[in-house]
Amino acid sequence: MQSAFQYVERATFMHRLHPVVKIVHLFATLALVLLPYRPTLRDLASAAIWVALGACLWALGRVGVRQFGFLIKFLTAIFVFLIVTQGLLYQSEGPVLIHIGHLEFWGSDLGTVTVEGLFFGAVLSVRIIAAAMALPLLVTTTSASQLMATLRTLRLPPRLTFMFVSSLSFTHLVIQMWQNILEAQKLRGFDIEAMSVWQRARRAYVPVLTPLILLLFRKGNDLQVALESKGFGSTGPKTEIEVLPFLPRDAAAAAVVLAVFALTLWVKF
Amino acid sequence: MEQVEQSKSRGPVPGAAPVDRTVVRVEQVGFAYQETPPVLEGLDFRLEEGDFLVVFGANGAGKTTLCYLLSGVIPHIWAGTRRGEVSVCGLDPWSVPMHRLASHVGIVLQDPEAQLAMPNVRLELAFGPANLGLPREEIFARIPQALAAVGLEGFEARGTAALSGGQKQRVALASALMLAPRLLILDEPTSQLDPLGNAEVLEALRRIQGREGLTVLMTTHNTQDILDLGLGTAALVLDRGRVAAWGPVDEVLAQVELLERVGVQPPPLQKIWAAVAPDLNGRAEAAASVACLAAAIRGGLEAGRLRVREIARPGEDGGGAGAAGAAEPPLLEVDGLSFAYPGDPPVQALRDVDLTVRAGEFVGLIGQNGSGKSTLVRCLVGVLRPQQGAVRFRGKDIARFRVGQLSTRIGLVLQNPDYQLFSISAEEEVLFGLRNLGVPPEEAARRTRAALAEVGLGEVRDVFPFRLSFGDRRKLAVASVLAMGPELLILDEPTTAQDYHGRYLLAELAERLRAAGKTILMITHDMDLIARYARRLVVMRDGEVVLDGPTRDVFAEGEVLAATKLRAPLAFRLGQELGVWEPLPLTVDDVLAGLGPAG
Repeated sequence: MQSAFQYVERATFMHRLHPVVKIVHLFATLALVLLPYRPTLRDLASAAIWVALGACLWALGRVGVRQFGFLIKFLTAIFVFLIVTQGLLYQSEGPVLIHIGHLEFWGSDLGTVTVEGLFFGAVLSVRIIAAAMALPLLVTTTSASQLMATLRTLRLPPRLTFMFVSSLSFTHLVIQMWQNILEAQKLRGFDIEAMSVWQRARRAYVPVLTPLILLLFRKGNDLQVALESKGFGSTGPKTEIEVLPFLPRDAAAAAVVLAVFALTLWVKF
Repeated sequence: MEQVEQSKSRGPVPGAAPVDRTVVRVEQVGFAYQETPPVLEGLDFRLEEGDFLVVFGANGAGKTTLCYLLSGVIPHIWAGTRRGEVSVCGLDPWSVPMHRLASHVGIVLQDPEAQLAMPNVRLELAFGPANLGLPREEIFARIPQALAAVGLEGFEARGTAALSGGQKQRVALASALMLAPRLLILDEPTSQLDPLGNAEVLEALRRIQGREGLTVLMTTHNTQDILDLGLGTAALVLDRGRVAAWGPVDEVLAQVELLERVGVQPPPLQKIWAAVAPDLNGRAEAAASVACLAAAIRGGLEAGRLRVREIARPGEDGGGAGAAGAAEPPLLEVDGLSFAYPGDPPVQALRDVDLTVRAGEFVGLIGQNGSGKSTLVRCLVGVLRPQQGAVRFRGKDIARFRVGQLSTRIGLVLQNPDYQLFSISAEEEVLFGLRNLGVPPEEAARRTRAALAEVGLGEVRDVFPFRLSFGDRRKLAVASVLAMGPELLILDEPTTAQDYHGRYLLAELAERLRAAGKTILMITHDMDLIARYARRLVVMRDGEVVLDGPTRDVFAEGEVLAATKLRAPLAFRLGQELGVWEPLPLTVDDVLAGLGPAG
């Protein structure tokens, strides 16, 4: 089984693009998400513009939507939850959509669903979509070697760069181990996938997480031996293996990303 | 000292006076991990430039600890107490940081999965030299050389995750060579590989043997291959941390009784030769190959020094209960099974597989990695649902059962027990499955006691599973499956990473269970082992069953086996070469039983 967050080799514009541009997009997304927000049409439009840019970049990189099926399912559940809870909990003087009585809970009236509350949930959901689109775009269209070279160019400490890149490749190993453990326990009548959320939360993960953690310790030890024996702990200067040129098309793409970012800020404020 | 006496003929000289070309100096070394008994005691040897030392020993003999001591893993990653002196390339690994040792010592570990950190081969190879700040041009110049040394020319751009086990291990080897080490340490580099991967790595080692300035220390259980390929200039046998034998490889591996005593498998050819040599007065070179040994035995037979005896083996029909097996109704029927893993394009793992297993049979399922064996057994236990075809157990389609329900009929013992162990004690581990099935507590306790007793773990029922040895953890995994009461027991690769005695533990247990009425299906790459126990073999290649029949009939299909990159066991090939037995011998014991002194 392949990890969804894994590089997929394709000959697309996004694959050819310098990773710095994609990192700029990632950080712009983070900045947008961290900005304070209100339940207004302007905030919703601002987030929607950024999602539209993300969708275009996904299309340009031919990022497979299907491979993120689990993420989409998870996010859909989150959105429903957010919209419902914000609708019920958000306190405002605005118009009431549904009034089903009075139920006081931590200062909120759970019996009143306001339009502003639903809007608040919707803005939050669109922002989450924007945030969720950025990382897959970077990791599925950028090879680990390009990523390492770029992070080093950005003067990130080599140890940090290595940790980031190896954690991406380690994901594959962890998923494989997770699947093997699930299968091993299923063979003893312990089917986590057939359990309810309550059953899983109560007792399901101990038989799966315990072997996973113990195995990861063991694999981690082997990896440490392999790394240290190859001079990973050396404090001297390290050699840059890959050098990526920043071409005019990369500059143009970065300008487009920043321009759209400026547009979202203008719309928002 | 005995070691000095033995080593006078050739090879490195333990305890000899220091010379300039000394790469490794180990003087009266002992070592114990924290709060454990000593793992090494009184080790004393030297290696000079160009030496290739092969270290043999049972699991727990101290082989890995020796590798760790020389490479600096001890004490920089694993702590413990050392006595004596160790010097590697003039440095004491105890007091020099590992990154300083890196340009002198390279190490390759057992697990091909856990030691590659980079996403592609080029970066993996460049990783070490880049850490040490070597110029880019030099690194790029070394990459094709290192890949050529291990037979992986043109693999620079390949992703490491997509490589086979043998290829990964060769990349790990090339990666170690990139630092141009004076000492290369290999800790059981082939123990987790299939026969193809094993052959690839050993061939790579044969290529680098004798490389100028390179000294090699390799630990292994693989005695016959080492002899066949002429690997090693010297051999060291460890027994519970002490030197049991030292000297030229062929001389050490000719000490059959000693090897048996310390849990190292004597090379089959040597074992046969040791038994017949007193009657032949021949030279040791007679055991150099199957053809040579056959010629020597033939000479002995013609000269009247040896005579042929009949080889008897019961149950040749494939049924453990002799001919009765064929009369049994089918226990398991696989009918036109096809399975493809999803992907773009999908990966066809099984193609129209038909298979029938009858009660009481001991069936061996063999084939290279990727041939479909594991996919097939995962379909049999319901973990995978086939896209086409059906699996019936006692006539009932297994699709109607959940995996847990099926586990009371078909039990699968996985290759790695550590994927399932999590409980606080061995007893709790076995009880886990029974509780999931809703077995009443008294009945569950009774079955747990019986299963633990059956595998010989009755005395350690309160022990934390991860405190058990790997062999015992495997037995515990068997007990946890056995307790669920399956009629058919499937063992997936019970010999992986096991030593001589460990390899036979689960197979012996499976044979006992078969004798007690269970049916056994065993996946293995170990031809000697499967020849000893299975009366029927199923050979898979590219998702299809290409051979299915009594063990001897399958081994006689040399061409099909060769196309599958498999080979009949040595005893069988010797029997074919000699042509004096009917039926042909399957094991070394068969050969020894089939030969006797004249008169």
